[in-house]
Formats: sequence, C-alpha cells, structure tokens
Amino acid sequence: MRHVPPPVVLGIAAGALSVLAACALSQALEVQITSVHAAEHGGSDAELVALRPRLRRLVGYRSFRIVHRESRPCRWQIGEAFEIPGGRLLRVVPKTMRDQAVVMQVKLLDGERALIDTDVRLQNRGVMLFSVDQDSRVADGALVIMLKAED
Amino acid sequence: MTCGDVAELLDAFVDAELPAPTLLAVARHAGACPACDGALREVSSLHETIERATLADAEALDLSGVWPAVARGIDRIDGRRAWLRRVRPTPVWGVGLAAAAAAVFWLLAGPEPTRIAAQRRPNNAVIDRLASDGGRFQIRSDRKSGTTAIVVTPVGYEAAP
Repeated sequence: MRHVPPPVVLGIAAGALSVLAACALSQALEVQITSVHAAEHGGSDAELVALRPRLRRLVGYRSFRIVHRESRPCRWQIGEAFEIPGGRLLRVVPKTMRDQAVVMQVKLLDGERALIDTDVRLQNRGVMLFSVDQDSRVADGALVIMLKAED
Repeated sequence: MTCGDVAELLDAFVDAELPAPTLLAVARHAGACPACDGALREVSSLHETIERATLADAEALDLSGVWPAVARGIDRIDGRRAWLRRVRPTPVWGVGLAAAAAAVFWLLAGPEPTRIAAQRRPNNAVIDRLASDGGRFQIRSDRKSGTTAIVVTPVGYEAAP
C-alpha cells in the first residue's frame, strides 16, 4: 500500500468537511427576525411604511421603528436563539416542511420563563408576528417581533 | 254410376268425404262390381296400413323433454320482462313527480361550480399549540393580509433583569 503524506490527508479531510458544511447550510432554513418598537406617538421607519397598516390592525399602535434585525440560516431540527432587545431570546426550532409550510417550534424566553411557547406551521416565505404588549421593558408601547422563514 | 266414376271417387269414398247420395251410389256400384269392390278394399287396406304406421311412429316419439324445455324458455322470457312488471304498477303521476323533482334539483344546483385550487395566503400560519408561562395571550389575524399575530401581555411576575 502506498504511503500518503499526512498534509495531503489533512487537506482531503478539510475539503470533505467544507463540502459537508456547505451541503448542510444549503439545506438550512433562512430565518429572519425583525424587532420593532411600536408606540402611540412618533413617526415610522420608511422601511415599514408598507407594513404599517397591517401592524396597526394587528398591534394597534401608530409609530413603528425597527430596533434590531437578524437573519440566520437554521438547520432542521436544530434550535437557534435570536437575541431580542430587552434581554429576551427568541428560540426557533425548524422541524420540517409540510405542504409548503415550515413547521417549527417558537419560544419567546424571558429568562427561564417562556412568555410564548408555540408550535406553528408558517407558509414558506411567510411572516408572522409576536408582540409583547404593555412591555415594562419598553418605556411606551409594545415590542413587535416579525418572524420570516424561507426554505 | 260407372267403374270410371268410382275410380275417380275412390279416395274420397274411403275418407268419407263424399255427400251421402254419392257415397251410397258408389257403395251400391261396388256391391255389384267385383273389380270396383276389390279396388275399394285395396285402398281401404292401404289407408289402414298408413294409419297404423303413423300411429306407431307417433307413439314411438319421446316427448318427455319437450315440456321442461318449453318451461325453461318461458322462465327466461319472464326474467327479461320482470322489470316491465315492476314498472307497470308505478302510476303515471309518480313518474311525472320524479321527473319534476329531478328538474327542480337540476335548476337549484345551477351550473357546476368552477373548481379553483385553494391557494394559501402568503402569510398563512396555523398554530398547533400555544402556551405561556406568566403571560396572557391573544391570537389576532389580519383578514386582509392573512398575517397572524400572537400578542402576549406579561402578568404576575417580575421580569428578569
């Protein structure tokens, strides 16, 4: 049997790992979390102008400003935690894709407590909202979390 | 009556098809004429022979399978016409009523609806389970956009720092 030099073996292993990692990421779900501060008074971000009527109908405030945004690939069956302004975490566990809907578990954690713990089926590339109303961490108004999942 | 007349009437005499005066005239002539009497007896004998042979053939015929076969044929025909017997008792007004009901049903049903594949809205979300530890929640849905919101109001606990 021919002797293969160790650097070549390491190179092949690194390459294989890179390919595996790329494959894993390509099969991941892209999750975008946008945190919005909703208030009674003030203006709204230009980016949210199109969404403003929908936010008003669902949350009921007049002013909407983006305070944080994060987009990250999430692997199936693996939980990902997104930081939310105010020290909370939004933990997303994509379970599977069923009938063009992303089946996932979503938890809004406030320390040890789960303010929201839900299993949802969200249409692929769809958006749903989580809102913490009369939030003591927010001086005035509510925190709105927009979650978008895209396979 | 001559021997020629008797010769022509011979078969009719044996079959008793002649009128009585002619039949009597032929019999009187044959009683007096040995040739015609012989001819009559010969024809009568021939007729009897034929009759016996025909009777023997008729008695030899096996007709035992005829009636069962006829009965089977009748049953087949009866089976084919059974639906006719069922329909016949239905009164004419019953048939008319059924036709009228079918027409009303057809009119009320209207044209067949165009089948459109149900399309989910882009933000459609189905909540299979929802719980909250220390929060009061509401599920709100925006009909226009189909967006769903879970709104939670924290109550009854000190928020983590």
